[in-house]
Amino acid sequence: MENQKLPFSQKLFRALVRVLPFDFRTNYGGEMEGVFREQQREAEERGGLLGALKLWKETIVGIFTTAPREHCQILTGDCSYAFRMMRKNLWFTAVAILTLALGIGANTAIFSVVHAVLLRPLPYPQGQQLVFIRQQEKKLGIDDMQFSVPEIMDYRAQNRTLSGLVEYHDMSFTLFGHGDPDRVRTGVVSANYFDLFGVNPLLGRTFLPDDEKPGASPVLLLSYEYWKNNFGSDPAIVGKTFEMNDMVHTVVGVLPPVPQYPNENDVYMTTSACPFRSNKMHVESRDMRMMEVFGRMKPGVTVAQANADFSTIAAGLKSAYPKFYPDEIGFASSASPLQEELTHTARPTLLLLLGAAAFVLLIACANVANLTLARMARRERELAVRTALGAGRSRLLRQLLTESFLLACAGGILGLLLAYGSLELITDFVGRLTPRAREIHIDSQVLLFTLIAAVGTSIVFGTLSALLSRTNLSSSLKDGSSGAGLGRRHNRLRSALIVCQIAFSFMLLIGAGLMVRSLIKLQQVDAGIVPQRVLAMRTDFNWAKYTAPEATEVVVQKLLDRVKSEPGVLSAAVSSRYPFEPETITGGPESVSFSFQIEGRALEPGQSPPVSTFASVSPDYFTTLGIPLKAGRLLADTDKSKAPGVAVINESASRKYWPNEDPIGKRVSADGGQHWVSVVGVVGDVREFGLDHTPPPEFYGAQAQNAQPATLIVRTAAEPRSMARAITTAVHDVDSQTAVTHILTLEQARYESMASPRVTASLLATFAGLALIIATAGIGGIMALMVSQRVREIGIRIALGARPASILRMVLGQGMLLAALGVGIGVAGAFVLTGLVKSLLFEVPPTDILTFSAVGATLLFAAALASYLPAKRASAIDPTEALRAD
Amino acid sequence: MPKKRETESFLPLTPAMFHILLALADGEKHGYAILKEVARRTDDKVRLSAGTLYGNLARLESSGLIAESNRRPEVVLDDERRRYYLLTEFGREVAVAEAERMEEALGQARAKHLFRKPKLA
Repeated sequence: MENQKLPFSQKLFRALVRVLPFDFRTNYGGEMEGVFREQQREAEERGGLLGALKLWKETIVGIFTTAPREHCQILTGDCSYAFRMMRKNLWFTAVAILTLALGIGANTAIFSVVHAVLLRPLPYPQGQQLVFIRQQEKKLGIDDMQFSVPEIMDYRAQNRTLSGLVEYHDMSFTLFGHGDPDRVRTGVVSANYFDLFGVNPLLGRTFLPDDEKPGASPVLLLSYEYWKNNFGSDPAIVGKTFEMNDMVHTVVGVLPPVPQYPNENDVYMTTSACPFRSNKMHVESRDMRMMEVFGRMKPGVTVAQANADFSTIAAGLKSAYPKFYPDEIGFASSASPLQEELTHTARPTLLLLLGAAAFVLLIACANVANLTLARMARRERELAVRTALGAGRSRLLRQLLTESFLLACAGGILGLLLAYGSLELITDFVGRLTPRAREIHIDSQVLLFTLIAAVGTSIVFGTLSALLSRTNLSSSLKDGSSGAGLGRRHNRLRSALIVCQIAFSFMLLIGAGLMVRSLIKLQQVDAGIVPQRVLAMRTDFNWAKYTAPEATEVVVQKLLDRVKSEPGVLSAAVSSRYPFEPETITGGPESVSFSFQIEGRALEPGQSPPVSTFASVSPDYFTTLGIPLKAGRLLADTDKSKAPGVAVINESASRKYWPNEDPIGKRVSADGGQHWVSVVGVVGDVREFGLDHTPPPEFYGAQAQNAQPATLIVRTAAEPRSMARAITTAVHDVDSQTAVTHILTLEQARYESMASPRVTASLLATFAGLALIIATAGIGGIMALMVSQRVREIGIRIALGARPASILRMVLGQGMLLAALGVGIGVAGAFVLTGLVKSLLFEVPPTDILTFSAVGATLLFAAALASYLPAKRASAIDPTEALRAD
Repeated sequence: MPKKRETESFLPLTPAMFHILLALADGEKHGYAILKEVARRTDDKVRLSAGTLYGNLARLESSGLIAESNRRPEVVLDDERRRYYLLTEFGREVAVAEAERMEEALGQARAKHLFRKPKLA
């Protein structure tokens, strides 16, 4: 009312004064107004309008310089007061900071992964234009087929949506001319590969179109890591020459330290330098597929348009080459964003972990709010005294928010350190799911996330405490020791918070429980081999020296004889791959599948041809791995390159393709009937693509009749790792240019194959364990507080004849009621949420009764345990003491 | 000794603070009177705005250099919204220390013959 009568200038001045802190305004606002009025009158008398304007300018400047100083002063005061309070309540401070640190740390760590892997664009210019091209044989269930050279040429010539299309494959070659022969991982790529990705060289140049012409002199690009580690970052590396595949290769450049996709390589060469890729047979055969293909979409082109484009090309190929793309295989091709391609396996796991981490933070928040409330109950008198002494309401709110903010900041800093410390572990884990793991680090955006998490946390529990201080504080001065009226209101809120904590903990524990159950089931799976005391290693011969099949045969036989002569070796075999080999698991059955025809069995129109995985193995492969023979015979030394083609199949293949007949003696062909292979035996199924993979039909071809071997497998009498050196020496005795790498025991390989579910399970279990501890401590804390607030009442009950056992039951019952409520809500929540983790589980239903009951029982037991101590204390209350105390 | 160190911790005073202390040296005054006195004494060279004045008063008051006076002028002259401020003993010590500091600086300037014509001799 009064305000309305004021002249405009006074209203304006009042508005201006509002930038000053509340207390300052209360103290000096009225006087300032008076002074300003006088100044204004005087200025108008002396200087008219100009004088008034000058006064306004001085006034505005004065207020805006005074305000920040005053606010700062209050903040400093609040902080130092908050620090004093924190020091005084060391126990509370430590528990609160630690709880928040765990919550914020878990979130920061997982967010740094989600940010690097799922959110951040690819580290290439216009990375969203990059696409991964795939061919499919849909009717054979093959989703991801590689490309042959003629196919790449067709796609390159016919597409209308890409500005460039490049190919990639990787191989291991031996590099000479730099100390010992060095086995290098080599990416074989199109000349414009790096231009397409937008990668500029650190030194020298990348490839030029001329480098890829047939017969061009071979050139190499070194990866940043290889250059740094093997050449000490030699600035004069460009122009140096090395020998590889019996040809001189010249280094033309060094790549910058960018993440390499799809794989990390030591060096890169062009397609014309690769002895396999440039081979005439490879260049001309439409069905010799070993390349992957990437493209960059033209500006403005959508993925859907690129997809339609590639479907059209695939349809064209089908009609042009019906022999290669018959209707029954369901040939198709498509484009998908590279980013999606690189991260789709990691996505469900990462989102699950992010959800779990968010739950932990919620529980931590609820717990700290609870701790704050408990402390508020004790501080009511202090706050009331401060109010009585003239501290304004907003001043107190400000003080409480400052305190919670400081706590959250301390928690945030500690959490950041925790996240930083766990980064290596996490990168290692995520590396199993996506090649983008290398990009994980704590950058400004992760720091911003941590800050937001900390501020958000402090606002949540700070506001809770501040809101509660809105109760009539003066009543606590009049009231007795613990403010019973206020206490009851606090208790209801505290109970609600406890119920929430229990519910969230229950859901987390269910998630962890399901993952652990699934892992146990996985570990119990019989893989179909005897993995104990078997050593496997990659043995890369310099195959350029052994081109004729007979030469290969001789050297392989020499190798096996030499290794078997080593004391302690029970048996040895070579093969194209072995069970649980990391590459085999990554590639999956599709990477080694082939389609074939069975003699005398014509395909009906529209029927798909049979498909099977294939491995080429030497005769002792089965005995070395302990794969049992079920029918017929195993492969034999007589199955040479010139002998009739033979194969051993597994039981799955026998059941699937010869369900009611004996497969022995049946013949199959993979090349349209040009060559036939007879089935000579049936062996047991092996889960070689991972314990959670049902064994697919498998053909084992005789090694001498198939591709050159890549791995050596040895069964030893003693601990296999102790034999590694002797076996490596034996290999080098046969051919010193052979690189022996990736030495693993089969047990290690089997263990590694479960790494992803194991780490997911252990991370979830850690989160759930944290939640359980926090929630249990919460129940214990609130029950203890309730008991201490009700000492008098309980004393009266006992004095009136209540037996200690009934008091014990009463308190215990209250704790259990909260826990039961929490578990009830948790069960409902878990039913909804566990559907999301279904894809990560192995032979465990998402609503597994056993897990639900075990977790429920654990939580109730923990709650009972946590309430027992306060209940025991309550039952031991001495009524005379209790009544005298007040 | 500790007293001296406490005094020195306020030095040098800002011009506004020094002038406010000076204005209160010859008796207690209310805010507007302080402002007028400072302007008059400095020929309007130091002009305090309401915000600056009360920001300084608040700080001087909280550090005990000035205090609110209990004595009020005669009822006819009194405006109850006005508060009167007085210089405390400690405030006087700080003001004296500041004046001495300035005097010493002035002496050094003279010794260096900074002034061509010794006007203040």
